[in-house]
Amino acid sequence: MDRPPAHSASGDLIRLALDLPLARFRLRVRLDLPARATAVMGPSGCGKTSLLEAIAGLRPRARGRIVVGDDVLLDTDAGIRLRPEARRVGYVPQDAGLFPHLTALENVCFGARGGRRRVEAALEALEIGPLRSRHPVSLSGGEKQRVALARALASNPRLLLLDEPLAALDVELRERILPYLLRIRDEWNVLLLYVTHNLGETLTLAGDLIVMRDGAVEAHGPPLELLGAPEISRASAGGLENLFRGRVVSHDAAGGITDVALSGGLHLSIPFAGTLDVGATVTIAVRAEEVLIATAPAPHLSARNVFPVRVLSVLPATGDAIVRCESRDGGHVWLARLTQSAVDALALAPGSAVWLAVKSHSVRLA
Amino acid sequence: MVAEDFQLVAFTLRIAALSTLLLLGPGIAAALVLARYRGPGKGALETVLSLPLVLPPTAVGILLLEALGRRAVVGRWLAARGIEIVFTWKAVLLATMVMSFPLFVRSARTALEEIDPRLVGIARTLGCSPARAFLRVTLPLAWRGLLAGAVLAFSRALGEFGATVMVAGNIPGRTQTLALAIFSYNQTGHDERALRLVAVTVVLAFAALWSAEWIVRRRTRRAAI
Repeated sequence: MDRPPAHSASGDLIRLALDLPLARFRLRVRLDLPARATAVMGPSGCGKTSLLEAIAGLRPRARGRIVVGDDVLLDTDAGIRLRPEARRVGYVPQDAGLFPHLTALENVCFGARGGRRRVEAALEALEIGPLRSRHPVSLSGGEKQRVALARALASNPRLLLLDEPLAALDVELRERILPYLLRIRDEWNVLLLYVTHNLGETLTLAGDLIVMRDGAVEAHGPPLELLGAPEISRASAGGLENLFRGRVVSHDAAGGITDVALSGGLHLSIPFAGTLDVGATVTIAVRAEEVLIATAPAPHLSARNVFPVRVLSVLPATGDAIVRCESRDGGHVWLARLTQSAVDALALAPGSAVWLAVKSHSVRLA
Repeated sequence: MVAEDFQLVAFTLRIAALSTLLLLGPGIAAALVLARYRGPGKGALETVLSLPLVLPPTAVGILLLEALGRRAVVGRWLAARGIEIVFTWKAVLLATMVMSFPLFVRSARTALEEIDPRLVGIARTLGCSPARAFLRVTLPLAWRGLLAGAVLAFSRALGEFGATVMVAGNIPGRTQTLALAIFSYNQTGHDERALRLVAVTVVLAFAALWSAEWIVRRRTRRAAI
C-alpha cells in the first residue's frame, strides 16, 4: 500500500509559480514537486481543476512559471508561453473527455506520437483490445477512463494530469483502475499529477501530496506525514478507511455472520450477507476510527475479528494518532485511529507486536 | 414550363447555392464567436447579426441601397473601381446573403454551443493546433447543426423577396428570381404561370429539406455501427 514512489535523483521534477485569477479568488501556487506522482486534494471548487488546466496550457490568463524537468512550459517574465500542443502534457478529466464521434481505437490514435508501437503498448497496458471499435457512448465509466488514459499515454506525454480519474467510478471499479495507474507511474516514465478526494488512492499512488484551499496551498509534503493533518480529513470524502478485496467463503445465518477471506489468507467475519454467492469477490471497508488495538490476544472480547499485527509507525494527528500496522497475511497495511492517550497507555511504537480487533458490524461492504 | 421558367429556376438555384456557400465561412466564424466569446460587445454583436431577422426585409433592402449608394463610403469605393452592384445579379446575391446569414448563424451557434469546450482543449493537449482541433473535433461534432443551418439559409435564399426587390429590382432575365416572378405574374394577371412557379418552389423546398434529412440519416446510421 505504501511503496514509496521513486524520487528523482536530480532535484525537483516540476516547479510551479502560478498566478491565475478565478471567479471567487486567485489561484496562487508556488511549489517544487519532487515526486514522480503527486496527489492534489482539497474541497470542491478550491482550484484543483484550474491548476491542472493552467499546467496543460488551457488557461490563457495564467501567469508565472511552469517548469517540467528541463523544459520551461511557461515563463511570462521571459515571454515564454508554450502552446498546449507543444507542452507534451496529457490531460484526463473526470468524465474522461473522449471524443464521442470516434471509436475507442480512433480516440487512442488521435494524438499518438511515437508511432504504431506506442499505440499498441498503450492499448495493451490498459487492456483496450476488445473495446477498439466501440464508440464512447457504449462504454462503461471504467472503460471510458481506460481509453482516456491510453489516449493520453499514446501521445507520449512527460506529465500526465489526472482530474479525479476514479471519482465517477464505484469502489470496485476504482480498485480495478488503480493498478493501471500504478503501472503507468512505474513503467511508462511519466510524471503524474493527480486530483483526488480519496486518501486511500493518495497513499497508494503518490509520493507527494498537496492540499489546496481557495486557490492556495494549505499543506504540502509526503502523504504519510500529512495523514493526520486536519486539512486532510476535511479534504478526503470518506475519512480514513481501510479498503481490502476479499472472497466470500461461507455464510452462517444463525450466527449472523458471513466469512470473507482476504487475498493474503486473513479471514474476517462481516455482518450476514446471504445474498452474496460463496466465492464472490467483494470489497470491504473499515474506518480507521473503528479499529481497536490490544497488546495481548483478547479471547474475552465480543469483536469477531482479532488478529496479530506489527506496528509500522505511529503518526501524530491533532490530538489523535494514526497507527499503521502490517498484518501477517502477506502485508496488508491497516490504519487505526487512536487518541494520543491510548497510544501512550499501550506504549505503541514501531515494531510493537499487537493485536487488532474489528467488530463484524464495523466491516462495511464497499 | 416555358424556356423562361427554366432560366428563372436555374438563376434562383444558382443564387441560393452561391449565397449559402459564401456565407458558410463568415457564418461559422460569427457563430464561433457568439458561442465561445464572453466579454464586452457580445450583446451588440448579437443584435446586429439578428437585425435582418426582425427588420422588414424592405427596410434591410433600403439600408443596403444606402450603403451601396454614391453618398456612402462603400458605394464610393465600389464606384471608383467601376464595380456596379445595384440592379445586377450581384445585388440579388448580396440581398439573399444578408437575409439568410442570421438564420445560419443561429443554427450553427446552437450546434457549436452544445460541444463541450473541454474536448477542444483536450485535442490541443493531444497535439492539435487550433485549426486542426476545429477540423477534427468541432466540425465533426457540429456538422448536423451546420447542415441544418445551411438548409435554412438555402431555403431563405430561394424565397427572398423584400430586400432583393429593393436593391436588385425585378428585371426579367437579369435580376428576377422565382419569388419576384411569382409576384409579377400575379400582378399582371398571369395566374396560371404564377401557380406553375409556386409548384416549382414547393418541389425545390421539399427537395432541399429531404436531401438534408437523408444525409443526416445516412451519416447517423454509419456512426451507430
